[in-house]
Amino acid sequence: MSTTTPASTVLPLLRHAMRESWRSLIGWSIGLVAALSLYLPLFPSIGGDSGIQDLIGNLPPELTAALSYQNIFTGAGYTQSTFFGLMGFVLLSIAGISWGTAAIAGDEERGTLELTLAHGVSRTQVVLERSAAIVLRVAVLGLVTALTILLLNGPGKLELDAGNVFITVLAACGTTLLAAVMAIAVGSITGRRSYALLGGAAVAVLGYAFNALGNQTKDLEWLKNFSPYAWAFRDEPLVNGWSFGIAALYLGVVVLVGVALAAFNRRDVGR
Amino acid sequence: MTLAIETVNLTKTFGSRQALRGVDLAIPTGSVFGVIGPNGSGKSTTMRILLDIVRPTSGSATVLGRSPREGGIGLRRRIGYLPGELILEGRVTGRALLTHYASISGPVSPSRVADLAERLGLDLTLPVRSLSKGNKQKLGIIQAFMHDPHVLVLDEPTSGLDPLVQQIFLDLVREARESGQTVFLSSHVLSEIEQVADEVAILREGRVVTTSTVERLREVAQRRVRASILEATPGEVTAHLNTIPGLNGLTVATAPDGTLSLTGTLEGEPDAFVKALAALHVHDVSIEMPNLEDAVLQLYSESDAEIAASGITTTPSAQEATR
Repeated sequence: MSTTTPASTVLPLLRHAMRESWRSLIGWSIGLVAALSLYLPLFPSIGGDSGIQDLIGNLPPELTAALSYQNIFTGAGYTQSTFFGLMGFVLLSIAGISWGTAAIAGDEERGTLELTLAHGVSRTQVVLERSAAIVLRVAVLGLVTALTILLLNGPGKLELDAGNVFITVLAACGTTLLAAVMAIAVGSITGRRSYALLGGAAVAVLGYAFNALGNQTKDLEWLKNFSPYAWAFRDEPLVNGWSFGIAALYLGVVVLVGVALAAFNRRDVGR
Repeated sequence: MTLAIETVNLTKTFGSRQALRGVDLAIPTGSVFGVIGPNGSGKSTTMRILLDIVRPTSGSATVLGRSPREGGIGLRRRIGYLPGELILEGRVTGRALLTHYASISGPVSPSRVADLAERLGLDLTLPVRSLSKGNKQKLGIIQAFMHDPHVLVLDEPTSGLDPLVQQIFLDLVREARESGQTVFLSSHVLSEIEQVADEVAILREGRVVTTSTVERLREVAQRRVRASILEATPGEVTAHLNTIPGLNGLTVATAPDGTLSLTGTLEGEPDAFVKALAALHVHDVSIEMPNLEDAVLQLYSESDAEIAASGITTTPSAQEATR
């Protein structure tokens, strides 16, 4: 019975977080693959089907705009509307927000953060390593998503550009991470699980809602400027590739991590 | 004498609640120091400040000569901490969790964890979340002791442990003292730590009301004594024992078979009482362990009464009691 316990390992909190979460990472990956496998192969029967075209033509224009279904007859528009704008966004957001909530607030409210902080780690290290663990997990989900899309690209006759797929996945991961680090930041400020959850959910839900409202009329288009979802997708990255909005998402992530660090280093920890 | 832990006029306010109202502690290096107090008296808050989990409102705290805030990672690596409300979760095994904590604390020698687990009787191959409260407490004790820290801060370490394991824990504390480590531990009852503590502080409502060595507590503590005496009359026995200093409440009763049974309480060392008894025909005798719990309360009410009487805290006997 021998345990080898080195004095210090590189990024111990990151490693621990990954060890504790690989099951959930696999679960979310399966969910994303399932959603993609459900929607994308159906494109030939929808994009080429005149009945569906008529159906969508008869929908209220507001609804078509909210769901961005006006472009549903191209492979890029279809992938954007059915996955990145719907199931993919929901799945990724829930995964990111739940990880972000657990990282500080959940751990603190559970009562286990105190013991971690009593060891040889700084609070800065806790926030940074746990944020990095979420970045890593979201990157894995992004990779799974991108590879699955590319795999279904041919059979689904989507005609997507591989480079643009990766850029769009990068954009989707950006919105996910922004919601996740908002949950970390709110958790770092308040230490409360429910507030952290609310903060992360607000980024995702309001972002989606502002984008949908902004699509309705020219008068409301300014709302899109406050929507991370719009930053990611308004320039149609599956068609047009890179845009500055994607960079803005990651800039926001960095800013929020900074907020989390400043707040968490200042306050008392405990229930 | 160097101090491993020192707090000076430490206060802490949570919102409108004053958790600490000026705590002064001086814990010598290499000693075992106990703090006793009811729930909410400030024990845990004081300890959390030492680990920089909570920051003081005013006053100062130092551990190994450094403030917890400035000491940072380097200081915490030299402290072993057991939280009062220990929560351990996770699918991982006990060993994996300890390996994780070892990776974020001081260096741990490979055999130390196995040795501690064996002594405490803990199976490290079980998932943490399947462990009982007592076994989680053992895991908590192991993670506090495993890197042989200079200072051990243990909040209610014996809670949830059965009496046998409590004794093993007390052995660990003794060994820590022998190897020069300083142990600062808390309990809501003195009896759990009196066997190992050199000094105890009584904390109430965020203040240290008295500090005393356990030796001094033993001196003022009362022991209950009983004896059965043959071949003597009640008058003779009473006259014989009445002059013994510290023997109070002596009663002598005659049983139907002619045996005299005497009871009383004894303060201080039992030497005079034992020697006086030796002149009699002693059929049976029992001298109980001194009740330190009562002694603490007595010291507490003494200092309290004097503080109340004088209106200040600097009367000689109050100083004596709070030294």
